[in-house]
Amino acid sequence: MSSLAMILAGGEGPALSVLTAQRSEAAMPFAGKYRVIDFALSNCVNSGIFNVAVLTQYQPRSLNEHIGLGRPWDLDRTTGGVRLLQPYQSTKGQTGAWQEGTADAVRFNLDLARSVDNVLILPGDHIYKMDYNPLLRLHRDRDADVTVATKSVPAFEAHRFGMIGTDQTGGVIEYAEKPKRTYNTTASMGIYVFKAQVLADWLNGPGLKDTNLGRDSLPGLVRTGKVYAYQFHGYWEDAGTIQAYYEANMALLAETPALNMYDPDWVIHTRSEERAAAYLGETARVQGNLLCDGCQIEGTVVRSIISPGVRIAAGAEVRDSIILTDTQICAGAVVDRAILDKRVVVEEGAIVGDGDDLTPNRKFASRLNTGLTVIGKGAVVPAGVKLGRNVLVSHHVKARAYHGKDVASGETVG
Amino acid sequence: MRVVGLILAGGAGTRLGVLSEHRAKPAVPFAGRFRIIDFTLSNCVNSGITNVGVLTQYLPRSLNEHIGIGRPWDLDRSHGGVRLMQPYQGKGHQQWYGGTADAVLQNIDYLRETRADTVVVLSGDHIYKMDYRKMIQTHEEHHADLTLAVMNVGAEETSRFGIVLTEEDGRVSGFLEKPKEAPSTLANMGVYVFNTGALIERMLALASEHEDLDFGKHVIPSMVETHRIYTYPFDGYWVDVGTVDAYWSTSMELVSGKSRLDLYDDSWVIHTRSEERAAAKVGPQGQIQQSMVCNGCIVRGHVFRSILSPGVYVSPGAVVRESVIMNDTWIGPGAVVDRCIVDKNVVVGGGTLLGHGADYDTPNDKAPDKFYTGPTIVGKRAHIPQGVTIGRNVVIEPDVNDEDFDRFDCVVPSGMTVS
Repeated sequence: MSSLAMILAGGEGPALSVLTAQRSEAAMPFAGKYRVIDFALSNCVNSGIFNVAVLTQYQPRSLNEHIGLGRPWDLDRTTGGVRLLQPYQSTKGQTGAWQEGTADAVRFNLDLARSVDNVLILPGDHIYKMDYNPLLRLHRDRDADVTVATKSVPAFEAHRFGMIGTDQTGGVIEYAEKPKRTYNTTASMGIYVFKAQVLADWLNGPGLKDTNLGRDSLPGLVRTGKVYAYQFHGYWEDAGTIQAYYEANMALLAETPALNMYDPDWVIHTRSEERAAAYLGETARVQGNLLCDGCQIEGTVVRSIISPGVRIAAGAEVRDSIILTDTQICAGAVVDRAILDKRVVVEEGAIVGDGDDLTPNRKFASRLNTGLTVIGKGAVVPAGVKLGRNVLVSHHVKARAYHGKDVASGETVG
Repeated sequence: MRVVGLILAGGAGTRLGVLSEHRAKPAVPFAGRFRIIDFTLSNCVNSGITNVGVLTQYLPRSLNEHIGIGRPWDLDRSHGGVRLMQPYQGKGHQQWYGGTADAVLQNIDYLRETRADTVVVLSGDHIYKMDYRKMIQTHEEHHADLTLAVMNVGAEETSRFGIVLTEEDGRVSGFLEKPKEAPSTLANMGVYVFNTGALIERMLALASEHEDLDFGKHVIPSMVETHRIYTYPFDGYWVDVGTVDAYWSTSMELVSGKSRLDLYDDSWVIHTRSEERAAAKVGPQGQIQQSMVCNGCIVRGHVFRSILSPGVYVSPGAVVRESVIMNDTWIGPGAVVDRCIVDKNVVVGGGTLLGHGADYDTPNDKAPDKFYTGPTIVGKRAHIPQGVTIGRNVVIEPDVNDEDFDRFDCVVPSGMTVS
């Protein structure tokens, strides 16, 4: 049985604010040196699936560069391997537009699936380790048209998921997208195995107008075809909001985290630059952190995630924060409960995350309200300036944008 | 101009003791995640030399695996790239490499096939960053047959090196291999740029006289009178970590933050083959100062002035001081590791004191000439039981088990060997 994995990596991830201003959600850095899509890609190769298509649309440059020919995953192959697929124009008139959703994206690329038996649809923005073989086996054993990977969720979270009702044999008899009320606690993970023929027939037939596989296609398929549920019990996280992203990263600092990144039998592969070992100087104080190769630390770092190439000067202090690649924190600066994107410079004596005024962000109150301060790629925090909580600094903001003033909680710079 | 690089990587590195028992010296790990040969290989590709032969002989497996097809250095190429060259059999000729130049001589066909006009001959066991392009440029400007990279060494060290006498314009007027008394402190670094023609002609002429044909002993001295040899002065960082003491002190200099070797320089990246590992994790009880820690380490104890290679685990309450710990070694709770070099996959039992006491001067019983400066050395995959006290200059051989410590009754005095 041959399988093709389609990884859906075109999503914008709007709830991640400035962090996804210049990259798609699937390209979000995670655990210091990874990108979120590394999980889906590594799960594929660790499950023996070497025929992988990555469907991109929103800000694909970062992903293109990261995945390249697929070397880190041994996906630079003569047969199969990884393909990066962008929306394209066509003369037939029926395609040739931007993709409106998951079903639309898959429909555009159905020609890839012609010579395979099954298509495995995977979201590119989930953090989990999963062997797809038991899922594929169940799909085959039941001779299913569609098999949906599921996970139990508490009832109060049901409104965020596609909820599934099953019969005794695991057959799906009911599907409701983000229901307000439901008795079911089985949620779809957005991971599907389709018989390739069923997928093509549906999307070009009854589902021709479908834009979203879960919302639009699944209810119809449940009525007309054989749909089964596959229960997954491991760690699974959709880090699609700033708070969820922060928590998923910070959870790795636990003594025994739910997500084990040190498992030699299920390695998460990534493209990494060549860097020397992390260096800790004479004045370094580190406690409860993740430190990546290439970082140089002279200051104090507590409960934080430090990506490759980050420099933290003597006298600087970083607490409960995520610091992405090549960011620099100068002497006397303090960073507290913040997410700093790549190549940010926090100059001497600046404070990021000051005081205990937790006013939500005025522009994005629904997204930034838990006290985290977020600084976009390449931005500068000038010397001596204080940033409060829930502050948002756009990418590439220069020192003059601050007009030499402190930034109160809830404000946005740039 | 066509340039080919030849890296001599066949040396046994006997003075590194158990560290080179299972691998050639160029394959000895350095600075946590590198191997010594990474410096020379990276210098080649950073200098635009993408046609590189690596000549191996002694325990090449570790090197073969490390270099593979040369991916990390972008040397997996259709034209040129890296080639690993072992001694081989042929009609009318079958022998091991007898000396440095003999190794090159036995691969003379390769040199001819590459049609290179310039050969850069390098040693695979030195740590330095050098742009060979500049050296090749001076070689051309001088219309030299051979250019030697040279540096000034201390007067007490001259007997370890080939010593070079020069005229004012840098032309070599004399060459003394490891002299007892040196008239100069200008030392040959073992970095040579040869005209291919001159090299081949000289090697063939000398081959019948010397089975152990060596650049320093035979080839260069024979060229001083008849050929144009020039020097290329180098004043950057360069070390030969050929002894345990040099290896340990070079490592300590690196963690002090005062080393002249900048490993974080974006413009001259040292490439290496590395396994994929997650970020290093420091537990809430952990403390790390003046140290280098690689991806995949988990540190729950205290680490001072040490280098931890990928995958090292330091248990809560353990202390690692002034030590070099290689890949995937496990250090048990409450263990103290002081001034040690610990090879890969070692297990240090809980509460064990490895490198204990002030007796730095009792040399090792089996190799007093190699291990006499203090560091205790632990070979690959050794298992050290719990609660043992182990002194200085102790050598624990690879693969020893708990039972091998029975005869010591929990105390291994300084200078002993556990086998």
